[in-house]
Amino acid sequence: MIEKTSFFAEPGRRAALPILVLLSLGFIAPLLAVVGFSFMPARTFGLWHEPTLENYETVFSDNTYISLFWSLGLASATVVLLALICYPVAYGLVRVFGRWSTVLTLLFTIPLVVSENIRLYGWVLFFIKGGVLPGTLRTLFGVEMGDFLFTPAAVLFGMVYVYLPFMLFPMTLGIAMVPNQMREAARDLGASRWQVFREVELPLSTPGLMIGSLLTFVLAIGAIAEAKVLGGQRIIPITHDIEIAFTYAQNWPLGAALAVLLMLVVSVLVLIVLRRFDLDQILGKR
Amino acid sequence: MFNSKFSRRDFLKTSASAAATLAATQMGPFAGPARAARDKELNILCWEGYNSAQVLDPFRSSKSATVKAESLTNDPTMINRLRAGEINVWDLINVNNPWARKIMMPEKLIKPLDRAKFEPYFEKMMPQFKPPYKWAMDDSGKDLLGMAQRFGPYSFVVNTDKISRKTAEDQGWDLFNDPKLAGRFGILESDDWNVFGVCCIAGFDPYKAHTAEEVAKFEETAKRILKNKKVVGDIATMNQAMISGEIDCHLTGGTYSASPARADGHLNLRGITPNKGPLAGGKGGIAWIEITSVVNNPQGSPLAEQFLEYVQAPEVAHTVAFAEGTFNPVAQMGNPECFKLFSKDQLEAIQWDSLEEEMARSAEYDIVPDYDKLLDIWNAAKKS
Repeated sequence: MIEKTSFFAEPGRRAALPILVLLSLGFIAPLLAVVGFSFMPARTFGLWHEPTLENYETVFSDNTYISLFWSLGLASATVVLLALICYPVAYGLVRVFGRWSTVLTLLFTIPLVVSENIRLYGWVLFFIKGGVLPGTLRTLFGVEMGDFLFTPAAVLFGMVYVYLPFMLFPMTLGIAMVPNQMREAARDLGASRWQVFREVELPLSTPGLMIGSLLTFVLAIGAIAEAKVLGGQRIIPITHDIEIAFTYAQNWPLGAALAVLLMLVVSVLVLIVLRRFDLDQILGKR
Repeated sequence: MFNSKFSRRDFLKTSASAAATLAATQMGPFAGPARAARDKELNILCWEGYNSAQVLDPFRSSKSATVKAESLTNDPTMINRLRAGEINVWDLINVNNPWARKIMMPEKLIKPLDRAKFEPYFEKMMPQFKPPYKWAMDDSGKDLLGMAQRFGPYSFVVNTDKISRKTAEDQGWDLFNDPKLAGRFGILESDDWNVFGVCCIAGFDPYKAHTAEEVAKFEETAKRILKNKKVVGDIATMNQAMISGEIDCHLTGGTYSASPARADGHLNLRGITPNKGPLAGGKGGIAWIEITSVVNNPQGSPLAEQFLEYVQAPEVAHTVAFAEGTFNPVAQMGNPECFKLFSKDQLEAIQWDSLEEEMARSAEYDIVPDYDKLLDIWNAAKKS
């Protein structure tokens, strides 16, 4: 008969207690502070005022929905574009480029060690009037480039550029997970190359696509630098709204309410996706 | 198998003595006066420049002290951090002129300086800073609240190749009401200053309580300005966009923002102070003056006052004027020993040729009574 022991009698649990306390203080306490602040009166700086819902009323009564719309729209568009761009590249890295794959992987990875802001300012110099691209087009071909910098399209470009590795590498892993024997078996059984791709490779590499999409979406919805640097603040994403509330507006409670709203929206969307696509199932754990 | 003479008992004994030693070293400072704990450290909350290694390193090494400086780019955030409890963290706060006198002293966030020790430094400054200097004094005129150093006019900046200095000064804030400028100007992302600028463009003084009609006019102007702008960004973005020709001018700016580009040889970028405008006395421009005060920290560092004296030295004042980031005139240029350290190019970068007349045409930065309301309107307009 198995003796029922208390939770802390299990091996390792008491030893894990300090790290559990540390993680609770490090991760959960700040989140609780943000939630707490969201219920404090506007433009106050303590957590001990009488709780109120006024910040949430403000969020739903003013034009915050425009910022949320931009963030959700741009993050979704980034994920779709990256899925389309990265799949062929990832396929090439796994199946086509052979020993050049390592070099290409390095080329995709090296920019990550440079600060995102510096890379984005680099693109500003590339697209700005008289910059690398418009200057070259005018000098060599006499073509005047239309406005691209400081437009929503430039923001989307920046997001696709910045988050590319976060979609590419999970996808590469996903494609690498497809056993060669499966492809060969499908070919032996008479499947065309298209059928092999559609019915064997794509479904079996879905875990990489899913993980890449989730990772990219969650990162992209928190993007702020692209809209500030490349977009010239032509659009204000929700993260910029939060920053304004915490800085110039000095309205920490409103900023906290916006942050809670963003966390809720992202969590709900991610949960919906995870319910629709069970990661454990597609990873073959059950 | 692991075999050691180091028994469990030895381990406990060693651990206990180590813990006792650690506790003793940690508890040490509590044995003496609380102040003694901080005589080798200094924390400064400031605008950029005072946090640069050029300014701080000589002080650090001369005092063998740990000096931490955090730079922020708006006054309300710094004040609110003191209000939110960081009064126990910082020793010096460096903000624009009205805050010490009108907010921080009444709220006891800062404490007065020794007048006998510090007032003689004002005697050596430029004539407008002669003691008792209004923004460095409390309302009663008895207490000295801080030291003046960097200052400058700050209204808007034009590319004089596209809009002449004369046109910009004559047309003033109305320049931004001109429909022909749509898509050709930028806005610096200093939202507190943008509130002042939009008030001036709308035709009324920012530094007073506003009527419902004025608030409505502010909203209409804010929406129009934001709709017509090409780009909103930081100083680097504004200067880059002007140099490349993306924009011809930008709202909110002056010596402080144009000086890095001017120092790089782009003398066609020029801070403009309008000849006339809606500010008190019909003045056209706005000017800022930084006042650095000692925070009313219960365990304040004795190095705070020493740092204030240190930055008065001609060489250090010159370094502050040309520290990294932005370049600015300093009040200490009234001292010939300091002034002679500025090269011709440096004087050109800070528009020394017109500084006196621009300051004379400028009202001094003040607190907007209904700032929160106007800022909320501005921020909502940015999203729409």
